[in-house]
Amino acid sequence: MPEPSEFELSGRVTIGQYLPTGSVLHRLDPRVKLCMGLLLIVGTIGTRSLLGLAILMAAVLFGLRLARVSLRFALSGLSPALPFLFLLALLQVFAIPQHVAGSAVVWRWRFLVATTGGLFAAALLVGRFCVLVLGISLLSFSTNTTELTHGVEHLLIPLQRFGLPAHEFALVVNIAIRFLPILAREAERLMKAQASRGADLGRSGGGPVTRARRLLPLMIPLFLVSLQRADGLVEAMEARCYVGGKGRTHLIQLRARPVDMATLAACLGLSLLAIGLGTLGADAWLLHRLASHT
Amino acid sequence: MTAATEPLIRVAGLHYAYEAGTRPPISALRGIDLTINAGEHVALVGANGSGKSTLLRHLNALLLPSQGNVWVAGWNTHEQQHWRDIRCTVGMVFQSPEAQIVATTVEEDVAFGPENLGVSRSELQARVDWALRATGLMELRAKASHSLSAGQKQRLAIAGALAIRPRCLALDEVTAMLDPAGCAQVSAVITQLHRAGITIISATHDMGEAAAAQRVIVLDKGRIALQGSPREVFADDASLLAFQLDLPAATHMARTLARRLPQFPRDVFTVSELVDAIVVHAGVTS
Amino acid sequence: MNTASTPIVEVRGLWHTYLAGTPLETPSLRGVDLCALRGETVGIIGPTGSGKSTLLQHLNGLWRPQRGEVHVCGLSVNDPAIDLRVIRQQVGLVFQNPEDQLFERYAGDDVAFGPRNLKLGREEVRERVREAMEQCGLPFSFKDRLTLELSQGERRRLALAGVLAQRPQVLALDEPTAGLDPQGRLELLRILRQWGKDGDRAIILASHNMEDLAELATRVYVLVAGQVVLEGPPEQVFERTDVLVPAGLSVPPAVEVIQELRRRGFTVPHAVLTPAQAIRQIEAILHA
Repeated sequence: MPEPSEFELSGRVTIGQYLPTGSVLHRLDPRVKLCMGLLLIVGTIGTRSLLGLAILMAAVLFGLRLARVSLRFALSGLSPALPFLFLLALLQVFAIPQHVAGSAVVWRWRFLVATTGGLFAAALLVGRFCVLVLGISLLSFSTNTTELTHGVEHLLIPLQRFGLPAHEFALVVNIAIRFLPILAREAERLMKAQASRGADLGRSGGGPVTRARRLLPLMIPLFLVSLQRADGLVEAMEARCYVGGKGRTHLIQLRARPVDMATLAACLGLSLLAIGLGTLGADAWLLHRLASHT
Repeated sequence: MTAATEPLIRVAGLHYAYEAGTRPPISALRGIDLTINAGEHVALVGANGSGKSTLLRHLNALLLPSQGNVWVAGWNTHEQQHWRDIRCTVGMVFQSPEAQIVATTVEEDVAFGPENLGVSRSELQARVDWALRATGLMELRAKASHSLSAGQKQRLAIAGALAIRPRCLALDEVTAMLDPAGCAQVSAVITQLHRAGITIISATHDMGEAAAAQRVIVLDKGRIALQGSPREVFADDASLLAFQLDLPAATHMARTLARRLPQFPRDVFTVSELVDAIVVHAGVTS
Repeated sequence: MNTASTPIVEVRGLWHTYLAGTPLETPSLRGVDLCALRGETVGIIGPTGSGKSTLLQHLNGLWRPQRGEVHVCGLSVNDPAIDLRVIRQQVGLVFQNPEDQLFERYAGDDVAFGPRNLKLGREEVRERVREAMEQCGLPFSFKDRLTLELSQGERRRLALAGVLAQRPQVLALDEPTAGLDPQGRLELLRILRQWGKDGDRAIILASHNMEDLAELATRVYVLVAGQVVLEGPPEQVFERTDVLVPAGLSVPPAVEVIQELRRRGFTVPHAVLTPAQAIRQIEAILHA
């Protein structure tokens, strides 16, 4: 397996990428998918139950299957975060004090105490992170940016009566997303150009000022290029009579079908179940069983 | 003057200067007087910094004169209430293919202009279809805009400008960043549009492109140095050099031949014209 | 070994896949062979997307070969132990629109960036900056001008000076005249021709501008979809419109004229590159 070049930025980040596999998931109304994403976030953060998390994870994995995304590829999106996650998990394990109800000591070495409560909290943390990353990745794999911004804009339209500039907001998001890969390519080109002149942008060491200065050959031209692009885009938009969201019509209209509503309902059900399991203390029962075994 | 002979664009006494950091304000345009009639194909040439792009941007009110006036279809660009009408009369396409695309799909980018005008949904669809057909992009309508080649992106930009149904297209070096294939695609579209009656004002470095226009305007340091048909403008080699310009390659060769061969035509602007002239000359002298 | 005949740049069987191992992978180079001798100017012609830029970026170690070998100035880019900074000093790579990479406030400082990264002394850096700027037709007094206030042509030459200041043996350029006005282009070609006169140096020029290559290249490669489809002296390669035109490439106007004359039945014995050569051939026909 060839080493990816130090300059190949765009390939290794999986979140935010769109994979056009044409599955059923891809054809759902983007507003529904956005709401599903929100429900997933709420469910994941709101649940205090590992069982609940497991159900949500199963749903996400099922979604990945439906969307015909290779599981391996999706999981590879987690790999950059693994060391950081491991550290956080360790912290959680040792941070929960042993007098918390239902928590028994599992392992002790000098001042480090691992309790079942700590282990549980760590598992919850790792689980939440994985479900969130995979879930958001699934959303981006199955929804291209056009659909996303249409979804956002149409969801926000009811709020226009309160003065929220739905169209401007959606346009800003749209353009920002569209220019991310363009700017990434520019950054890549600039890094290569400066490396060709002997610059060592990746080097560490030195105080914050030295490190910042080392990045100037990248940051300054990138900034200038971005401004140039912005200027160019503004001119193009003005030349095409853009004056803001007022009075605009739309070529694309969104229409929700029964399958969209059904999927949304299923998601709502799962999220509520996950939160419910937490509230009902399903895990306390699990914890109790674990504690009585040790 | 009747409405039929009223020029589409009129420029009188146009001066334009802008702030430039530590240097004194830069005078980009120094007294331009110009008229452009409907249906013309005008080429604007000049060295970098001669004011071509600046002048173009005055024609659709992106820039306003520091002094002087610009009238588009009778509307003065100084009057903000008429900017919308002006920009619906003169559409503009820029040099960088990527930096003028707004939406993520081809269809939606073409629709951007008329959407801004609040055109009804059925009319929107009709205009988008028409613009896509005129630029040969119908099959690509659902594609992601960033996945197009540079030549296709420029055609998309033209389609986006066309969807507003302008009477005139102002083109700012639109082929400068394209490879030969992309250039050919875009040039073909422009020629077709001109034949269909759209006025074309094209700033360009390509002398071959300029020679294909009906009128060539040479800008030098913010002033019009020379103006006329390609034949008139390219007549004097020495003055072109002074304006940091060049002759079309075919013209160059014809002029060199004409210096040594009596009666060889000097006013040849394309390769095929040159070849025809050689064939004729060979027939005459044999 | 006769160093005169050892290529200063040698590429053998080079394959490259962009974003290898991901669902978005695309092949960009497919078994490319290329070499350049000292004193040569080698041209790489190809439409956008043919892999020209990727190929150039292998020459100074920005990409390590995934498959195949790249040798420059006697060093192997494949060798994991090699210090890439040495390669990047020997092979100067000039990107498309290089004026975008300028970042220093004062022009002279930007040219000095390369030499300073080579850890040279102050006097040495100053001398290199002066030499490089002169090679690019920029007076040394420009060193105190603000970078952003130079014209586009001046900034492009400044960026080129920044690369020349490292005193490379090989200069690799990606579309060097793109976006320049006619005079700017002629000036840049003059600078390159002058720099290439030194018989120890080599220039590799990737472009789709056929007239540039007709002016400078002693040998050209035609790259289409990552593969070399033609190779040889430019006058021979330009004859092959059967390959060039379907690939979206054109030939210089001078060559076009001669080819058209041949099609109309005239005998033109010699291949032609530049307008001057075309004129000589045409005069021969008309005097016959």
